[in-house]
Amino acid sequence: MALASPGRLHAAAVRAHRTEFVARTLLRAASAFVVFAIVALIVYLASEGTKLFTHDHVSPLLFLFSPTFNPDANAPGSLVFIVGSLAITLFAILVGGPFGIAVGVFLSELAPRGVVAAMKPAIEVLVGIPSVVYGWIGLTLLVPLIRTVTGSNGFGLLAAGVVLSVMILPTVITLSEDALRAVPGSLREGSLAMGATRWQTIWNVLLPAAGSGLTVALILGIARAIGETMAVQLVIGNAAVLPSGLLSPAAALPTEIVMDMSGAQQGSLLSHALFSMALLLLLIAMALILAVRFALRKRM
Amino acid sequence: MSEATLSLEAVRARSARGVRARRAADRLATGLLWTAAISVVLLLAFFVGYIFYLGVGAISWQFLTAPPSEVSAGGGIGPEIYNSFYILILTLIFTAPIAISAGIYLQEYAKPGAFRSLVQFSAESLATVPSIVMGLFGLLVFVYYFGWHFSALGGALTLTILNLPALMRVSQEALASVPSTLREASMALGATKWTTITRAVLPSAVGPLTTGIVLIAGRIFGETAALIYTAGVSVAAGKGAYDLSPFRPAETLAVHVWYTHAESVVPDVARIGNGSALVLLAMVLLFNVGARIVGRFLTIRFTGKA
Amino acid sequence: MRKTAGIAALFVAGALVAPFVALADSSINITGSTAMLPLVKEAAATYQAKHPDVKIAVSGTGSGTGITQVAAKSVDIGDSDILAAGQSALVDHKVAVTGFAVVAHPGVGVTNLTKKQLQDIFSGKTQSWKEVGGADVKVTVINRPRNSGTRSVFTKTIMGDVPLTASGLTEDQTGSVVATVKTTPGSISYAAFAGARNQGLTEMKIDGVAPTEDNVMSGKYPVWSYEHMFTNGPPTPDVARFIEYVSGSADLVRKAGFIVVHDMKVSETDR
Repeated sequence: MALASPGRLHAAAVRAHRTEFVARTLLRAASAFVVFAIVALIVYLASEGTKLFTHDHVSPLLFLFSPTFNPDANAPGSLVFIVGSLAITLFAILVGGPFGIAVGVFLSELAPRGVVAAMKPAIEVLVGIPSVVYGWIGLTLLVPLIRTVTGSNGFGLLAAGVVLSVMILPTVITLSEDALRAVPGSLREGSLAMGATRWQTIWNVLLPAAGSGLTVALILGIARAIGETMAVQLVIGNAAVLPSGLLSPAAALPTEIVMDMSGAQQGSLLSHALFSMALLLLLIAMALILAVRFALRKRM
Repeated sequence: MSEATLSLEAVRARSARGVRARRAADRLATGLLWTAAISVVLLLAFFVGYIFYLGVGAISWQFLTAPPSEVSAGGGIGPEIYNSFYILILTLIFTAPIAISAGIYLQEYAKPGAFRSLVQFSAESLATVPSIVMGLFGLLVFVYYFGWHFSALGGALTLTILNLPALMRVSQEALASVPSTLREASMALGATKWTTITRAVLPSAVGPLTTGIVLIAGRIFGETAALIYTAGVSVAAGKGAYDLSPFRPAETLAVHVWYTHAESVVPDVARIGNGSALVLLAMVLLFNVGARIVGRFLTIRFTGKA
Repeated sequence: MRKTAGIAALFVAGALVAPFVALADSSINITGSTAMLPLVKEAAATYQAKHPDVKIAVSGTGSGTGITQVAAKSVDIGDSDILAAGQSALVDHKVAVTGFAVVAHPGVGVTNLTKKQLQDIFSGKTQSWKEVGGADVKVTVINRPRNSGTRSVFTKTIMGDVPLTASGLTEDQTGSVVATVKTTPGSISYAAFAGARNQGLTEMKIDGVAPTEDNVMSGKYPVWSYEHMFTNGPPTPDVARFIEYVSGSADLVRKAGFIVVHDMKVSETDR
């Protein structure tokens, strides 16, 4: 009996296509699950988070724009937390972002193989340090340092911003490096063949070519920064007032949530306000992602 | 003749200036990039050194294996180490299939369009959810609604949702690093897309995939906020602490670090807190090194190149 | 192909059965106050050693969550530092007493403050320690979160109607309060005896009364409150036995830094 008889081949092909169909369905299901997860989360947050407006009759304008956070007087204005969160995230991405991309460029373009092999595990270790430890080191070393240098009490936006910058470094570095490595060598060679220096190649050819990957690096950096709680909580001071500068104690959305959630009874105005803040946090983050994608799409 | 901009000497001079300027810029940039890299290394060395300095005094066999003590000195972190690994493995068991599948779908199958953008956007949004919010979600769903109370399984599932975006991203990057020629050759031989992926693409992507999983494992080790609300802050007493069942409270080492810094009243709280932090770091290091070795072995085995 | 389907089916079946398996054993689920954790966790450990058939799961999700969850019958015991206002179904079991000390950075130069001085400092009126006879250092107030039991005791017993300043720092757990006060010159806060002792901080005398267990027991020192274990309705025999064990283990209570309820010569109804 011929092994490659038409009957057998046909049967094998049918089997292969059935497997293909099942596989595709399973993969699609897995992807759908991701959508399901975020939708479930949003539904959960929205149902709890809108109770503040529907149940407790607090005006959304007050919630978003009032600088006084006073849940006992039915006036939970969250502007102070919104400003705090945006401020430290901006700081982290403006300081940690370029720094991280720079090191990513270094690893991908400049470093000899030995150095790369040594540095990569080192960066991965940075990821493994738990946020509590970052926060603790921030509290015991960074805050006194800021205090000595500036004379303020050390807690505030600057301390939180610095801690966050360090925390997003590994993410930004690794993703930037991957993005740059994915750029085909032919682009590099073409640029150098035209007489460009290495830096010119990097700046004018490689970085734009790696644009989408770098965008992702920044987005995930922002994602990490905006949601970070434990470390920020220990150094930001948690004063529910509008920050007047980098050195004034402030508060952020996630730190406020974690501060007061344990004391809030389910169904109380405070609890609803905190869920509204959680929903707001998610929405702000999603908006930031869209903004970065849009801005960088134009550039490319 | 003035300003004969096209005279040979002028062009040469200009060109020479330009070249010097570009070379200077190149050198400056190189210097700055090296500085950035060295700063990161120094930063890391400092962190590790400091954590080591604070915690090395606490390390002993007794510390690593004994159960924790609430009120007297001399407690250990044995059960917490066990729980850290337990929850890590359980989380990866759930996260890997879903995330890698979704990554494969997005990278290999999905045509640009509504569904693809939706999945991508969902993943990125999921990545921004702070772990505390995820912990509250897990509390509601796994601890109360499902009735599992504080359990390792609840913690693992919560961490799964938390880490899906990261592992998806890792899978996509790993798959993208495989040259398209491989896929084309496989298809040309008559293989279906799925066969191509499982037999040709995935094996080549094993290296970067493993590295990515290591990064994520590091984050899982250090996770606190989500676990406090789902896996709990306690361990069962005695032998029960090393239970294989996922339906029991499971305080991990990272949660223990938080707990000792936050509320613990034992007389040697600083020793325990710092020692735990050091052990956590050491575990992450060991895991990194081990996974690299495995990753390299797998890459050689599946692709035949080092 | 068939293998995959089989594994998938097993997984689904397992997931469906799982919740019932978890409920099958007799277990006591406790959540709530993090301040009570050392006591409750240790009691759970020693109790389980004596009664191996009982499983006790403890977590620290905060007093408010503890009250909510026991009211929703999701846990058996809700630990709390504060009273459960508006929860008529809950039964209060007072298992211990906590004293709270006013702690300050050792460099402030003062060891005794009157109630009025404390009110002025914590409301933000007093800006420098010089004004109360101390060093020339700026006052930095460190508060606890809004619904914290510690904060509510402090407001009830010391502040009265005077509001706490909104521009101070806020720290959540005892540990971070202590660390912050230790390293921030001019700082002042309030913390439970258990966490504040022997940390190198100045423990303030209030109107000349030192923050000691004896002074709390005699009623001379005003800043104290009960630690509550709430149950939804009367507790089951298992739960009741454990609660009695906690409040009755005088040794354990003292070692965890609390005061035994029976030793109190005064009692209050508002905390």
